[in-house]
Amino acid sequence: MIIKTENLVKEYEAGSQTVKALSGIDLSVEKGEFISIMGPSGSGKTTLMNIIGCLDTPTRGTYHLNGKSVSDLSEDELANIRNKEIGFVFQSFHLLARNSALDNVMLPLRYAGSNKSEALIRSNEALDQVGLSDRSTHTPAELSGGQQQRVAIARALVNKPSILFADEPTGNLDSKTGEDVMNIFKELNSNGQTIILITHEDSIAKQSNRIITIMDGLIKSDIKD
Amino acid sequence: MLVEESIQSAISSIKNNGVRSFLTALAIIIGTAAVIAVIGIGSSAEKALEASIDDLGPRTLSIFPSQRKRGGVSSGFNPLVIKDAEALAKNTEHNWLVAPAMSGNRQVKFRNSNMNGEINGYLPVNFEVRGFDLGHGRLFTEKENLGRKRVIVLGSKVPGELKTSAKQILNKEILIAGTSYTVIGVLSEEGSTGWQNPDDDLYVPLLTAAQRIFGTDRLGWINVGISNDTNVDYVMMTIEQILRQKHDIGPGGENDFRINDWSQFSDLRRQATGIFTALIAGIAGISLIVGGIGVMNIMLVSVTERTREIGLRKALGATQKSIMMQFIIEAVLLCILGGLLGVFIGTLLLFIFTSLNDWIFYMPISAIIGSITFSALVGLFFGIWPAKRAAKLDPAVSLRYE
Ligand SMILES: Nc1ncnc2c1ncn2[C@@H]1O[C@H](COP(=O)(O)OP(=O)(O)OP(=O)(O)O)[C@@H](O)[C@H]1O
Ligand SMILES: [Mg+2]
Repeated sequence: MIIKTENLVKEYEAGSQTVKALSGIDLSVEKGEFISIMGPSGSGKTTLMNIIGCLDTPTRGTYHLNGKSVSDLSEDELANIRNKEIGFVFQSFHLLARNSALDNVMLPLRYAGSNKSEALIRSNEALDQVGLSDRSTHTPAELSGGQQQRVAIARALVNKPSILFADEPTGNLDSKTGEDVMNIFKELNSNGQTIILITHEDSIAKQSNRIITIMDGLIKSDIKD
Repeated sequence: MLVEESIQSAISSIKNNGVRSFLTALAIIIGTAAVIAVIGIGSSAEKALEASIDDLGPRTLSIFPSQRKRGGVSSGFNPLVIKDAEALAKNTEHNWLVAPAMSGNRQVKFRNSNMNGEINGYLPVNFEVRGFDLGHGRLFTEKENLGRKRVIVLGSKVPGELKTSAKQILNKEILIAGTSYTVIGVLSEEGSTGWQNPDDDLYVPLLTAAQRIFGTDRLGWINVGISNDTNVDYVMMTIEQILRQKHDIGPGGENDFRINDWSQFSDLRRQATGIFTALIAGIAGISLIVGGIGVMNIMLVSVTERTREIGLRKALGATQKSIMMQFIIEAVLLCILGGLLGVFIGTLLLFIFTSLNDWIFYMPISAIIGSITFSALVGLFFGIWPAKRAAKLDPAVSLRYE
């Protein structure tokens, strides 16, 4: 089991009142799964991803990643987990505008402290995996939306993470390029990559092998095929 | 590799906000330029002073008459007289050159031209002590001095003032207060020493001056030329001893003369220049610190603008330390670039200043290294707080930031 959470609760203090973004999530994820998380806006999907992606900490509850409790890790240890174990893909790509595709992909390796020649080889490999090796010197402004998202996927993959998180990765793309991006995810999953993907679209969710629906910070349904 | 990325990121951030970066660095640029120019001017002034002291040749002490007090009451001046100089000259212990002089203004006439000139009574040795060079003719001799001969040597500008030239006036007679003197030599140009211009003066043998022109044996001053390796304190003690004895000053009595050490005077002048330079440089340094506050301000803006970037970097595994380093490098780099530009401008200003004033251009490397290091430290100091703020940002919140 890669991920195991018990009774995860996340509360935000918003002025005088507390907003309960997660009200008690029990979730287990096995290696190699391809999961879609669905649910209405504000139901807590991004909050859940941030917590299991170690970007945020729960108010209550336990979370084990690869069998290890995450709750009592230091900032630096969490940064190290994000660097080595987790890859993020965001709706708005989040590429560094002034850097080339290759430099963007290389960034996690820099934080990992890899040496330069190895970093170059692995970054080029990752770009190759998403079919963009011929665009490595281009900056984001010189790439289409779909290409930018593929660079972001290459960046998420470059450190060979245990889990790939994608928060509405096709949300800013048309259906054709969205399909291309989904094909990359399916390809990666068929090679054993664990993927957790947040989406609003049924057509996207259907392509995964487990659909979790969240409502008001609780898991409403969890369907595997 | 991370440091490399941080530097690249800093450069592209500074370049991308070119105008803003320049305006932010402006106080640093002006501050460094001012520090560099002021230190440079101070150093060049000191170099010029050193050169002018070297010009003086051997070291010179000057003895002047001064007021004598008896029981707290001033009893007027006790003059220095020619006999005092002779007593000093008799002492051979220090190998000194005793150069007594008296001076006063008199009407000078050559043909139809008149001028009011300062007449100096000199011994031949005085020219040596002052390091004067001869342009035309010859200097007077000891024999002419003892013979109270009516011979005269002119400063280089005197022939011009008498509407003639050095060649034409040589071996001619001129009138000093109605008495005629033969011009036997003209000095070459010496240039002003700041408090005296030897080029405008006229020089006659001391005894001639004493007897024929001023009618007194009172001296204006006595210069004592000593070589540079002499123990000045000991020389001064010897002078004191001789003169006190000559003037009958008993134990405990105050001196009725004073001894100036010109090199001490230039030490003082150098000290004053140094203090002045340090003061101005300090004030300019304050503008560097003000510049630092501007850098801090703009770094805080930059951190806010790049909240999402910081969130992303953290999501990719950046630690607090690496985020901090990135922003500190940016602040330091901005200040170093400002410092470099400031050094360039300051050096240019110094160059213009020194060439306009005919000074030696001198810029100590240590001032350049020091001021750039100081700007870097300013960047470091004022970059820390914004960088800390960046490092402390919550990644989940930062990624949501619009
Ligand atoms: N930093 C925060 N402070 C206060 N409230 C927050 C914060 N972050 C999220 N929330 C609240 O938590 C709830 C869950 O937000 P979340 O972003 O997880 O929803 P979501 O399911 O991802 O929505 P969407 O589909 O619109 O992205 C929302 O009510 C949101 O307003
Ligand atoms: Mg969301």
